[in-house]
Amino acid sequence: MNEVCFKNLDKKNPASFATYESTGGYKVWRKILNGELTPEDILAELKASGLRGRGGAGFPTGLKWSFMPRNQEGQKYVVCNSDEGEPGTCHDRDILRYNPHSVIEGMAIAGYVMNATVGYNYIRGEFMEPYYRFEEALKDAYDAGLLGKDIQGSKVSFDLYTHLGAGAYICGEETALLESLEGKKGQPRFKPPFPANVGLYGKPTTINNTETFANVPEILTRGGKWFADLGVENSGGTKCFSVTGNVKNPANFEVPMGTPFSKLLELAGGLKEGRTLKAVIPGGSSTPLLTADTAMNMTMDYDSIANAGSMLGAGSVIIMDDTTCMVKTLTRLAHFYYDESCGQCTPCREGTGWLYRVLQRILDGNGKNEDLDLLISVGEKISGNTICALGDAAATPVESFIRHFRHEFEYYIKHGRSIVESEGQLIKEEAIV
Amino acid sequence: MISDQAKKEIDFWVTKYPEGRQSSAVMQALTIVQNENGGSLTGELIQEVADHLQMPTISVQEVATFYENYNHKPVGKHIIRFCHNISCMLNGSDELISYLEEKLEVKTGEVSKDGLVSVKKVECLGACVGGPMCQIGDQYHEHLTPSKLDNILDNLK
Amino acid sequence: MSEIEFEIDGKLVTANQGDSIISIADREGIDVPRFCYHKKLSVAANCRMCLVDVEGVPKAQPACSTPVASGMKIHTRNDKAKSAQKAVMEFLLINHPLDCPICDQGGECELQDVAMEYGTDVSKFNLGKRIVADKGIGALIQTDMTRCIHCTRCVRFGAEVAGIVEMGGTGRGEGVKIEPFLTEGIQSELSGNMIDVCPVGALTSKPFRYEARTWQMNAVETIARHDLVGSNIYTQTYRGRVKRVVARDNELVNETWISDRDRFSYEGLNHESRALHPKIKKNNKWQETSWEVALDFAISGLKKNTQNADQLGVLASKNSTLEEYYLMQKLARGFGSDNIDYRLDKADLSIGNTMLSNITLAEMESTDHALIVNSYLRLEQPMINHRIRKATLNGASVNTINNKKFDFNYQTDLEILSSPQKTLLMLQSILKSLHERTKTTVPKYLSKLTVDDSQNKIADDLIAAERPVIILGEHVNSNISSSDIASIISEIAALANAKIANLSLNGNSLSAEKVGFKPSNNGKNAISMFTENTKAFLLMDVDFNYDFIDSKLAADTFNNDDVFVISLNSFEDEITLMNSDVILPLAGFYESSGTHINFDGVAQSFSASVKGPGDSKPGWKIIKVLADILELNGFEYTDSTQVADDALSMSSANNNDLVENNIKETDDSKVAVHWQYSPYAIDGITRKAKALQETPIGKMNDAFISLATAKELKLSEGDLYHGVPVSINETVAEGCVFVHTYQSRKG
Ligand SMILES: Cc1cc2nc3c(=O)[nH]c(=O)nc-3n(C[C@H](O)[C@H](O)[C@H](O)COP(=O)(O)O)c2cc1C
Ligand code: SF4
Ligand code: FES
Repeated sequence: MNEVCFKNLDKKNPASFATYESTGGYKVWRKILNGELTPEDILAELKASGLRGRGGAGFPTGLKWSFMPRNQEGQKYVVCNSDEGEPGTCHDRDILRYNPHSVIEGMAIAGYVMNATVGYNYIRGEFMEPYYRFEEALKDAYDAGLLGKDIQGSKVSFDLYTHLGAGAYICGEETALLESLEGKKGQPRFKPPFPANVGLYGKPTTINNTETFANVPEILTRGGKWFADLGVENSGGTKCFSVTGNVKNPANFEVPMGTPFSKLLELAGGLKEGRTLKAVIPGGSSTPLLTADTAMNMTMDYDSIANAGSMLGAGSVIIMDDTTCMVKTLTRLAHFYYDESCGQCTPCREGTGWLYRVLQRILDGNGKNEDLDLLISVGEKISGNTICALGDAAATPVESFIRHFRHEFEYYIKHGRSIVESEGQLIKEEAIV
Repeated sequence: MISDQAKKEIDFWVTKYPEGRQSSAVMQALTIVQNENGGSLTGELIQEVADHLQMPTISVQEVATFYENYNHKPVGKHIIRFCHNISCMLNGSDELISYLEEKLEVKTGEVSKDGLVSVKKVECLGACVGGPMCQIGDQYHEHLTPSKLDNILDNLK
Repeated sequence: MSEIEFEIDGKLVTANQGDSIISIADREGIDVPRFCYHKKLSVAANCRMCLVDVEGVPKAQPACSTPVASGMKIHTRNDKAKSAQKAVMEFLLINHPLDCPICDQGGECELQDVAMEYGTDVSKFNLGKRIVADKGIGALIQTDMTRCIHCTRCVRFGAEVAGIVEMGGTGRGEGVKIEPFLTEGIQSELSGNMIDVCPVGALTSKPFRYEARTWQMNAVETIARHDLVGSNIYTQTYRGRVKRVVARDNELVNETWISDRDRFSYEGLNHESRALHPKIKKNNKWQETSWEVALDFAISGLKKNTQNADQLGVLASKNSTLEEYYLMQKLARGFGSDNIDYRLDKADLSIGNTMLSNITLAEMESTDHALIVNSYLRLEQPMINHRIRKATLNGASVNTINNKKFDFNYQTDLEILSSPQKTLLMLQSILKSLHERTKTTVPKYLSKLTVDDSQNKIADDLIAAERPVIILGEHVNSNISSSDIASIISEIAALANAKIANLSLNGNSLSAEKVGFKPSNNGKNAISMFTENTKAFLLMDVDFNYDFIDSKLAADTFNNDDVFVISLNSFEDEITLMNSDVILPLAGFYESSGTHINFDGVAQSFSASVKGPGDSKPGWKIIKVLADILELNGFEYTDSTQVADDALSMSSANNNDLVENNIKETDDSKVAVHWQYSPYAIDGITRKAKALQETPIGKMNDAFISLATAKELKLSEGDLYHGVPVSINETVAEGCVFVHTYQSRKG
């Protein structure tokens, strides 16, 4: 456990420059500055590592980096997505707090590979503590002469800045993030063109997730194969999982890909006394919900979760026990997407409100029998028809919640109250513990 | 009026972006100006930020109304931003929010009578393993219970 | 660019790499529904209405933002495409009120049209609609933002075409509101185009409100003639009145846009001061009468007052039609008078500035450098300015030489301030610099001049450019050296290989020039007529308050008891009544057929959209009858097109003789006044168009003076200068008062 991104977690000052260096940090970067590593070497290692983007979509990082027109004239940018806002997800925050230098080094390496001399780390506006930690690390890196222009006479330049958001989940979507970084509303751009061609300020840009960057130095230190072997086929390395919800000890765990779900549940202390597992969202609120049985039989890697009918997503495992009211939970998620829709494109702007209102109507005891089919059909009309994936993300939970727990919804519509409450399982005091 | 100090801070942010791209600093500029103005923005301040960054005023207004963290009405001295999203909810955030509302005699979205606090329900703050949680100022308060909350509130001045 | 081949709805077609599916569909006549896409605006792809099926791609793709690719198979109306489109339609109707019967867009609403196609069952949503409280955006545009579908066409229009970012989308999600920051009214001179681009009834014409339903109206193709572009428009009429004006596409002239002036000036036609019946003044009392009586009265008055033909003066405004100018001058010359002029507002009539333009409107947008002299181009010639703006977006640079700095909607490089009395000298220095730089002989008269850095830069920029243009604007008209200025500009242009755009010949001046509507031999001009014993005047569409460069001098003459004044006029306000002896009610803009010659030299003819109110008659007919009564030959016209044919077959009487260049001693000890009308006070009809007057542009009323000049004149901020409030401003040239106002010229 905790072999890559969180490997210094047990050290006294995990975030400090000294700790990072003492465990081999900046070695790769210094090699680059000494001219001992070529971009091609690095890309080869990355491809061998099987590292896939940790921001949710799981796109192979080495391949993504190779899309950048590195020999094209003019400014190019590297951007780190630390906007972490997907409900259930909070491991990037800990990477920034406890291992900021790995992100800095990872971004610098990316800059070198793609011939991009400027990087921005977009940190969500609420993450003030991580922001201060990251800024401190940045200062130390500059002071150590590891960043800047023509670093140590190597002709390699890389300047890194932080940018702070101001509260908008959609800025996690990479093109919305670019808009936001340009000082505009965070409204996603349509693609094509892709950021690798037209990105920040219209220049070629690569965007990766915090955890993705944090993996890079260690991969290059210990080799792509080493990393790949930590995990399983198609899912190289380790992955940080945030395990939250109805478990005894919600926490972040970095475990090898392919770790059984049951093991992860155990790490989080298991369920509370007397409770049974009802459902699991394995990858953050936008990934389909799984029932207990299915979840207990899967392992935590891209393929296994996909086979189970969901997605690894951002590695945000939300555990629901038998006290959970599915109607209320789905309504809360629907409210989230309704609240966070950027408002730009029609299906999402209008559809998320529709979904939320119908669900709230059910929750208020005014549901109608046709509402469930209506919800499914509205979801279908949003899916695939929007500019960005937020629309799909809003429709996904609706479909999977209703598919797996239709009876709970029907019960609610019929009786005007939750099946869970009726069975006397929700005990207020206990929920507050 | 934006103070000189605030302008200096804004100009520091401007240096992070390429020349002519000073509008990239607008979010921070609004944050800085809002902090200086007791936690909320006004039309005049938005106009001033626009002038300072040489942006069309409506573009600044767009930004100021798009992002959650800007306030357009006066707020309490402290804003308690309580997460009510799924992971926190599963761990009792709704009940804690009700507890808070009763204790402070204030509804979410409003300012307490003494002007000391505003309470807001917000979406996921990215501290799900610590839920239920809230943010006050720069600080996150995690694993909240009624008594922990009492303690925090008692220390707010 | 490489051609690629692909299939759309089963048809094999070719296109260029990068073309969007929608543009090809449009070309092929395939109707893909759309709301946010507009051919003249950037692609936003936000409405999602244009979703089509591309074989092999799992999701439906927006036709507006998806580039075609070789071998693609596109289906715009198969089940997948249709169901995606229908889904979007359903979402759009969630929050769109179904109040078509009371909506001004009803009948011409893109949303209504598309919705019809999908039948009435589209909305299963029944949870109440969003109501948007909107703030209003001024006198021209009626907002009803509850109807807005967030396509952002208006926002993009502002940012991309108007060049003034005023509208935006505030808030987010379902709460997004399209609105401006300020509510005092949109500042742009092109704002009305937002009405045309809005696909629904969220932005409609405010003056048109409650006037008629769109399907009740007739649309007549016609030409706007407030400026020398001659934008193509439709007048939409109902029960004999013009109810609305909208743009008509003509890529070479106005593309798809028109200025607010062209769109809203028609309101002036319905002004309460319209002259409806012939009137004669007997014993200082006005009486309404028949045409017959009035015409006889006019002719006998004219004959009685002129011992010889040379005592007749004939004047017209710069907005008359080609036909009116032609017949007026023919009448005057047939009668024996060469005292003819339309240049009422020009200070320098000795020779006059008739410098020819040698660039077309469309070419303007591919210029790479413009030097703007004496013009607030944006307000003066909005559509020409738009071409220059497009040029700047492609990298063209702009320098200006003006009395005052102005707000252009593009970046300017060097802005030189120069008072009217120093402008000639300034240009001569630039000419000298050009001679030095091109190593051509500096003419003797320039030898003593000094050249400063900024003048050198102007010269350098002209030389460095590949396709430079020099634009001379309207402000030169009140300059007593305007012909010299024009001739120096011709020389500069020749040396720098620059094109010339002479915009000082505004309105329909090119028609007047075409038929020689000014003295040709020894005739008196618009100034000397007032000083040299003119006893009878025939006036066409003249505003006594506004039109004359020296209105006091003009009024003194007209008011003289032994001067007989025949006014052909659409309005009879107090001053017209005071100064005239006969009023012959004239059909106004859109009420008469005619011809306008535009900047490109294109004669654009139009027919009447409506009949003039009351007894008013088209100008060409009135003049023809006057000529008949005078028993003049050659007026056997039955149709205005015959007049136009004759007028256009005249050989151009352009007397472009240039004066010997010399350094004139200009008296710069005195402060010069430049009285510049707001764009909505430039002719009779605009001045009477109410809504235009209520806009920020219409309300312009400032006498701008620099602090030093103000001190010299003992004026301070807020004092009145000839009735106009003084505004101390350091962007005005020293030694100059720049009065920008809707008020009539004084001082
Ligand atoms: C609505 C939405 C929200 C997203 N939020 C995040 C986020 O908070 N953090 C993140 O890294 N990626 C987020 N993504 C994914 C990014 O768009 C992008 O795929 C990712 O940053 C790429 O990095 P990676 O290749 O390293 O995963 C989001 C995507 C969508 C559609
Ligand atoms: S799907 Fe939603 S969030 Fe994404 S662009 Fe459309 S409106 Fe914005
Ligand atoms: S026209 Fe294509 S998305 Fe609106």
